[in-house]
Amino acid sequence: MNHAPLRPGLRLALALLWLAILVVAGWAISRHLELSGDLRRFMPSARTPAQKLLIDELGEGPGSRLLLASITGGDAESVAAQSRAMRERLAHDARFVLVANGEGGLEAFPQRLRPYRYLLSPTLDTHRFDAAYLGEQLQARVEDLGSPASALVEPLVPSDPTLETLTLAETWEPATAPQRLHGVWFDRAGRSALLAVQTRAAGFDPTGQQAAVDAIRAAFDAARGSAKSTLVLTGPGAFSVEIGGRTQREAGWIGTIDTIGLLVLLYVAYRNWKIPLLGALPLASAGLAGLGAVALMFEGVHGITVAFGFTLIGVAQDYPVHFFSHQRTGVQPWASVRALWPTLATGVASTCIAYATFFVSGVEGLEQLAVFTIAGLGTAALATRFLMPALVDPDLRDPAQSAVLERMRAWIARVPQPRMSLVVVALLALAVTIFAPGPFWQNDLARLTPVPADALARDAHLRQELGAPDVRYVIAVQGRDVEDALQRSERLATRLERARVAGGVLDGFDHPARYLPSVRTQHARQLQLPAPATLRAALDTAVATTPLRSDVFAPFLADVETARTSAPLVPRDLVGTPLAIRVDGLLLQRADHATALISLTGLHAPDAVARIAAAEGGSLVDLKQASESLVAAYRGRVLWALGLAAVLLVVAVWVALRSPHRVWRVLAPMALTTVIILAVLRAFGVELNLFHLVALILAAGLGLDYALFFEHAGDDREEQLRTLHALIVCSLMTLLVFALLAWSSIPVLRAIGTTVALGVVSNFVLGLLIARHPHRDPA
Amino acid sequence: MELRGSALLKAPLRIEGEYKRPTDDTLVRAVRAPYVETTTIRGGEATIERSGKARRFSLSRVPELQGLQASFGAMLSGDRAQLERYYAIDASGTRQAWTLHLVPRDKALLAKVRDIALHGRGAELRCIETRPAKGDTQRTLLAGAARSAHGVDDAQALAALCQAQ
Repeated sequence: MNHAPLRPGLRLALALLWLAILVVAGWAISRHLELSGDLRRFMPSARTPAQKLLIDELGEGPGSRLLLASITGGDAESVAAQSRAMRERLAHDARFVLVANGEGGLEAFPQRLRPYRYLLSPTLDTHRFDAAYLGEQLQARVEDLGSPASALVEPLVPSDPTLETLTLAETWEPATAPQRLHGVWFDRAGRSALLAVQTRAAGFDPTGQQAAVDAIRAAFDAARGSAKSTLVLTGPGAFSVEIGGRTQREAGWIGTIDTIGLLVLLYVAYRNWKIPLLGALPLASAGLAGLGAVALMFEGVHGITVAFGFTLIGVAQDYPVHFFSHQRTGVQPWASVRALWPTLATGVASTCIAYATFFVSGVEGLEQLAVFTIAGLGTAALATRFLMPALVDPDLRDPAQSAVLERMRAWIARVPQPRMSLVVVALLALAVTIFAPGPFWQNDLARLTPVPADALARDAHLRQELGAPDVRYVIAVQGRDVEDALQRSERLATRLERARVAGGVLDGFDHPARYLPSVRTQHARQLQLPAPATLRAALDTAVATTPLRSDVFAPFLADVETARTSAPLVPRDLVGTPLAIRVDGLLLQRADHATALISLTGLHAPDAVARIAAAEGGSLVDLKQASESLVAAYRGRVLWALGLAAVLLVVAVWVALRSPHRVWRVLAPMALTTVIILAVLRAFGVELNLFHLVALILAAGLGLDYALFFEHAGDDREEQLRTLHALIVCSLMTLLVFALLAWSSIPVLRAIGTTVALGVVSNFVLGLLIARHPHRDPA
Repeated sequence: MELRGSALLKAPLRIEGEYKRPTDDTLVRAVRAPYVETTTIRGGEATIERSGKARRFSLSRVPELQGLQASFGAMLSGDRAQLERYYAIDASGTRQAWTLHLVPRDKALLAKVRDIALHGRGAELRCIETRPAKGDTQRTLLAGAARSAHGVDDAQALAALCQAQ
């Protein structure tokens, strides 16, 4: 492969062609790429019942699809009007299953189900429709007709003289409903109107939540008009949208500074304007190859795969740099790349072998990551080896002629190679890592979110004001079928209500039978309803004691008879009504069983509630604990894979270098760096999470490459200078990118940034100290 | 003294009590007979208290009440400009027997209330006649008219009393 160099114009044309191919390929892949935001794909399979509930049935608690809104500013009346306008608009939006602001309630109950009110309402559990009860009710209606509320009550009376519809509407209010001013919910201070909005999209569906948040803000803007009120929106969905937006903004400016910085750095290093373009090609190809490979082999590409994947293939940016620093006038590009190839190939191959261990993790997200990085790194290496030499200008400046570098080399050469001091540093770092106070691992995924403390406080406040369910605890009761689950939920509700009244345990709860009682309960209520003749007689007796006309109550008689003789309601009768949404959220129907969920409000004594739940065969599920145990299980898999990777890496490097001394020189810097990073993070009280682990893997990969090249340079002064030049450029590039990430306000980015930035510095210094050969002065 | 007619009732309901304005922004309707009930209208909300139980609702759901509240306030404070904000006003009659015809400006209110007639004598507001879009005319007799209505049960006679003839 000793080709003559191509003409400069052709070289540039080919580079631009490559770029064009990448742009087209990127466009094609992005059209077929289905990014999945479903966190569950990145998790190992569930084992405990709580994990199963979390992953298979819920995906999340009933509270996590709830967005809480408050409107503040201006007098209560105008704020209330805005709340009504918002509800009016959002209630007809298919993206929301429930928009509640305290208004109405009657319209939530569809006309065709109205007769069933007598089966759904608890009134008949304690009252009978006899002359005495009806007389008492009718007298109250007469007084209603004489009151200013007559216009509200009058249309209801002929069919519903006991106002059962109102009783039901009150029953269905949130367990601890906020106060009403001007007909809508207000906070205790009476200044902010409150709304609770349940989205159709799942809490972990970022696109769906974004659409929901946008729709709410648009509705508010329309409702506000020219008023000077403000909207506060909280809840898991709103937070994830805010974080998403912030990540994007920060990634935007970080990316811009990175790009400019890298271009300037490459130009300064090589004084050739084509180098920045050429340098970007292998990395861009790597990213696309990785994405393409994952898209081919898996159904959907996980968003985290992409994020982690691009982090891990960042090491590929170094490949062309090594080549550029060794390319100089008088040397064929093909010859200089061939000289570097064994070292580069060793680095790439060992890294890929290490990543291959993710295949055995049994977690789809990690398998995707393995495919992504192996395809990416392989592509970048092959592109550097077989395409780059044809495109690069052969007459680059030789770093070996740089006086600055020579002074640096001479200074470094005087530093003795450390031996015992390394052992001391290693032991010290290990001791700090092990004995530093504070938990080692961070399991709480929520702590990774950069939601400001005051936003969380606002959320807690709104949640309390609205009586919104606890997002952490939920009771799950499994039954053989829907009826069984509903009966259990009714029995459990009786016990919980007793505990609630006794005080100190919980403030409220919500259960599916509150909206749809079991068939058994509905049957019992049907037995309480009088037959037509009996009811007619009782009603006539009652009406006679009032100024009401006796001939207006035919609709009431008809409704009672319908309720008495119809088949009790089951979930499928509710399809298409607002009630179905409430029931579906709390009653999970499967082929062979059904699970009733009981959401809790103001839980003060989880232990007591857990005991009550157990008494009816239910269990109090701690969703936070379940998700934390999943994270821990996931980390366990990663650590196993990493252990295996470390072993394979040593074997691979051994096979390539075939000398214990060389293997030591190559592996010691990265091993020591890993311990030092851990020690520094632990010393600063950082709890480690998955993102730190991924960053540590990248740092180790960089360290391996640095050491391989330092070692490869041998004792030749000029080779040492060229390698030093290449590695300074490489480490500065990586440092620039990750140091900027370390400044980010997003914990995930910060975790990756600090870890890798530390790793770059430590790997460079240690590589220089340990891996380089003692120099040989020119004779 | 109020008369409430309804298709559900054999005869209009006759309610006795009084209207009070403890403060400028509050209207209290206290019923004494045939049962005891207190309605407080303030800040866009009505609270109805009866036998120890209170019910609240927003005036936005009962626009006719909003009109009542506003017109009462305006009448009692003689603030014609405020009244004009809510209604197109047409005055007729003499100082001894005047009538103010109010037609709501607000569409939502107009859909429920066709018009309101205020009848008075001198400085005294004697009767409010509210004609809803559907249903019977509701009459509220006040002051001298209410006193004259004592013991009168005939609807025609009460209507005549209201219209201050």
